[in-house]
Amino acid sequence: MRHFFPKYYCLLLFGCFIAMSCNHKKIQPAPAVITVRDSSAQNPYATLDRSPMDMSYFPADFPLKKMNGSKEKMPIARVIYSRPHKNGRIVFGNSTNSICHYGTPWRLGANEATEIDFYENVVIGGKNITQGSYLLYCIPFEDRWTIIFNSNLYAWGLHIDSSYDVFKTDIPVSVQLPSLEDFTMIFSDAPYGTDLVMAWDNVKVVLPIELSK
Amino acid sequence: MKQLMIICCVAFSITVCAQTKIPTLDKSPMDMSYYPANYPLLKIQDNTSEPLVARVIYSRPQKNGRVIFGELLEYGKVWRLGANEATEIEFFQNVKINDVKIKKGRYTLYTIPTAGKWTIIVNKENDIWGSFRYDEKKDVVRVDVPVQNLGEPAESFFILFDKINATSFNLIAGWDNAKVVLPISLN
Repeated sequence: MRHFFPKYYCLLLFGCFIAMSCNHKKIQPAPAVITVRDSSAQNPYATLDRSPMDMSYFPADFPLKKMNGSKEKMPIARVIYSRPHKNGRIVFGNSTNSICHYGTPWRLGANEATEIDFYENVVIGGKNITQGSYLLYCIPFEDRWTIIFNSNLYAWGLHIDSSYDVFKTDIPVSVQLPSLEDFTMIFSDAPYGTDLVMAWDNVKVVLPIELSK
Repeated sequence: MKQLMIICCVAFSITVCAQTKIPTLDKSPMDMSYYPANYPLLKIQDNTSEPLVARVIYSRPQKNGRVIFGELLEYGKVWRLGANEATEIEFFQNVKINDVKIKKGRYTLYTIPTAGKWTIIVNKENDIWGSFRYDEKKDVVRVDVPVQNLGEPAESFFILFDKINATSFNLIAGWDNAKVVLPISLN
């Protein structure tokens, strides 16, 4: 029995190695960024954006699952946002060179205002949210973010018109580890439905979304 | 015992991987085009003279030194008109394509490229990846449009809208040395 142990040890090391390399690959976005920047100068029709757009579904990877033959006909939620980069800057704070100032509305992304689509009614912060599309933005503070749903769709992210706000809720700030170079929004599974996770640099907030069924 | 250890090792690797499912930036970044062009910017400047008509959400693959049409994309095979998720087009009012009435709503765009023409397909199945599950039965309209030569080759695939006149506009898609133009009219 004893002579098997080095093998197990090797296997465990191998496991760690796979885990670490996998880990490393998923949180190192640098090469992709470089590709994007390099080719941006070469398209005279519509240049690639420095803060590329991205989309997250709940259930996660819904289009892929649908392609693979899942029975679910419709997703529950989707967010469409652009992904700015930290680029060595201070992201959240009150200094003159921070990107997002405490107390000042932020479009939760870049370029066009961020859009969240609900394919069915949901409950957030105890309030019913009717299915449909909303602009999503926030007011970041050091300890909490105010998350705001707004009905003035298809707008650019600056100067969001707060007279169209339809819902507001405060959620606490927690620490994002490892810190993120690119702003990220994903839906993760939760017992009551889903958490919309929003994270950038070393800051993370989580918006719990309950399914109304 | 041995099997158990192997299972533990594999499970450990998977667990650590699963914890970091934060998506990296995509090699074919997503982008969005509106008609009227730049509608969101015009909107916040109170500068919109026409109502919102259409929006396309697509991903932008790169040429990266490859020959695109006829090689990377086989002629005669359905292509998602982008990368990753199939390209989505939303109409905010009813429109007409090739004299077929298209009700306002979300649709998926596909194309079948050949050397001389592309068949542009508007399909009802939404929120889907790629063209692997493309179902012809869900087509709303199919239109053949001629391939034009792009003066300056495009490294990144693009889709944009261009105004023709008050009642019609073009969807223009291009990559490498090819472009196609799909006329759309307001109903």
